[in-house]
Amino acid sequence: MSYIVKDTILYVENLSVAYDGKVIIKDINITEKDVHRETVTTGQVIAVLGRSGRGKSTLFKALTGLVKPATGQVLIRDIKNSTEMDIKAKQVEEGDVGFVDQKYTLFRHKTIYQALKFALRKSSLSEKEKEDKINKYIQEWGLEKVRNQYPNELSGGQRQRTAIIEQIFSSGSYMILDEPFSGLDVGNVEDVKRSIHKIGADHTLNTVIFSTHDIELAVSLADSIYVIGYPTINGKMEHYGTVVGHFDLKAMQLAWKDFDAGHLQLVEQIKKLMLSS
Amino acid sequence: MLRKLFTPLEKIKAPFNLYIILFWLIMVLFTWFLLTSGQKHLIPSPAQVFTGFGELMSEGLVTHIGSSLSLCFQSVLFSIIVSLIIVYLSPLPALKPLASMISKFRYLPLTGITYYFTVFFHTARGMQIAVLVVFMSTFFITSLLAVIKDIPDEEFDHARTLKCNRWETLWEVIIKGRLDYVFDVLRQNLAIVWMMIVTVESILVAEGGLGVLIKNNDKFMNHGKIFALQIVILILGLLIDVFLNFCRKSLFRYSKF
Ligand SMILES: Nc1ncnc2c1ncn2[C@@H]1O[C@H](COP(=O)(O)OP(=O)(O)OP(=O)(O)O)[C@@H](O)[C@H]1O
Ligand SMILES: [Mg+2]
Repeated sequence: MSYIVKDTILYVENLSVAYDGKVIIKDINITEKDVHRETVTTGQVIAVLGRSGRGKSTLFKALTGLVKPATGQVLIRDIKNSTEMDIKAKQVEEGDVGFVDQKYTLFRHKTIYQALKFALRKSSLSEKEKEDKINKYIQEWGLEKVRNQYPNELSGGQRQRTAIIEQIFSSGSYMILDEPFSGLDVGNVEDVKRSIHKIGADHTLNTVIFSTHDIELAVSLADSIYVIGYPTINGKMEHYGTVVGHFDLKAMQLAWKDFDAGHLQLVEQIKKLMLSS
Repeated sequence: MLRKLFTPLEKIKAPFNLYIILFWLIMVLFTWFLLTSGQKHLIPSPAQVFTGFGELMSEGLVTHIGSSLSLCFQSVLFSIIVSLIIVYLSPLPALKPLASMISKFRYLPLTGITYYFTVFFHTARGMQIAVLVVFMSTFFITSLLAVIKDIPDEEFDHARTLKCNRWETLWEVIIKGRLDYVFDVLRQNLAIVWMMIVTVESILVAEGGLGVLIKNNDKFMNHGKIFALQIVILILGLLIDVFLNFCRKSLFRYSKF
């Protein structure tokens, strides 16, 4: 599994977020680089783990620019204005990073087709091309039968897939999925896993970040895992979330391959870490 | 079966739930007959109400109903337009206090203020509409503000992640996304609207309407007629209620509440 890392694609520095003066997450530092492998197009798949209420969703809101950080910054690549030689970074703004929230929120007054059409409204494609693109995705993602249905006429899995396609259409290379596996049946879980792979395989810059409570799944899917938890400082547990562990599965030789003993060992290690934070 | 009828949260199947409703209707009618079967009775008997209804018809009940419905339609239309404009602008911080202030005015009593309207409006109908628009708007605005407040943050965030600017978010999430609720706000406030109409008509009698009929018959203590009128007003209100619900459900397929 030889790979090389190129330039930074996500840089989070000393990030903290507070709600009404109460610090929820603090001292978050993340650096992720563009991964390249010979012969295979490989995006980045990053998992965020942590017990309930530790601040995963809050971190995601900061990464997507939906909440303003109290301190620190989130930088992503300014893909539009960058060239191979001259890579520029920018502060994240709302709309830069696709985000599918825990509840798979959609517009309640738009059918799947209308929603996807809306997501493409700023694209430079012609009407015909948009039409084709929507039809292609609807077909590939198994939404053909329900294309003219409203969100409250859809199952959880169908809503979620629609929400993911919407974000693929609207935002660029970055996509954050908050608990994309909760409430799905075995078939849907496979669908979402496949879609995460698909996004990664589409372009080397594509970066998917997701949270989950399923450690095995995270270990088998991601090439980089962050654990968010309450830190213990001087023997005392603090009550804000921060990165308590980072595992680079690429360096550990665990990325892009079937689940084996090495993965299992990591699962145990992460479980212990989560329980103590 | 009998035990099921008295088990909390028990669901009763198709024809039987209607039988229960029917049972209660018959009970109400039966009680009415029973209470009014003697020589002296406080409320008018069904026969008296029926005669009262006949008299009302000959006094032009249909015209009065038409007048009331037309007043209702005009004032609700103006009022909802005014309310929507004010409420849709309330997400702008500078205009926010306006909507919540107007909403508070619903505690003002209707009588006593009407005098000020006579200064500005010279026709009785114009004045009726003006009074109703002002008072109804306070209720509509209150309900519409509650609808906006109930929109979960996720819906705004969802729009923002799709590169909607703030105005687009307002348009998609608040205006288009909650249009069906406008019909429900109308329906929910219908009872008070209907009451206001009857009151306003009885204050400014020149234009006729159900309010005038009630007022006149109240003077003469004609209970049969008053009762008949009450029933007419009740049924009209219920019909409008059903109509608004029908509009909402047929215009917005996704509106399932
Ligand atoms: N809008 C808000 N205002 C105030 N506090 C909030 C708000 N949103 C979240 N919190 C608090 O922030 C903390 C972290 O919440 P967050 O939703 O980020 O956790 P999470 O790790 O995503 O949990 P879960 O796994 O259950 O989804 C919680 O204690 C929560 O009560
Ligand atoms: Mg969460």
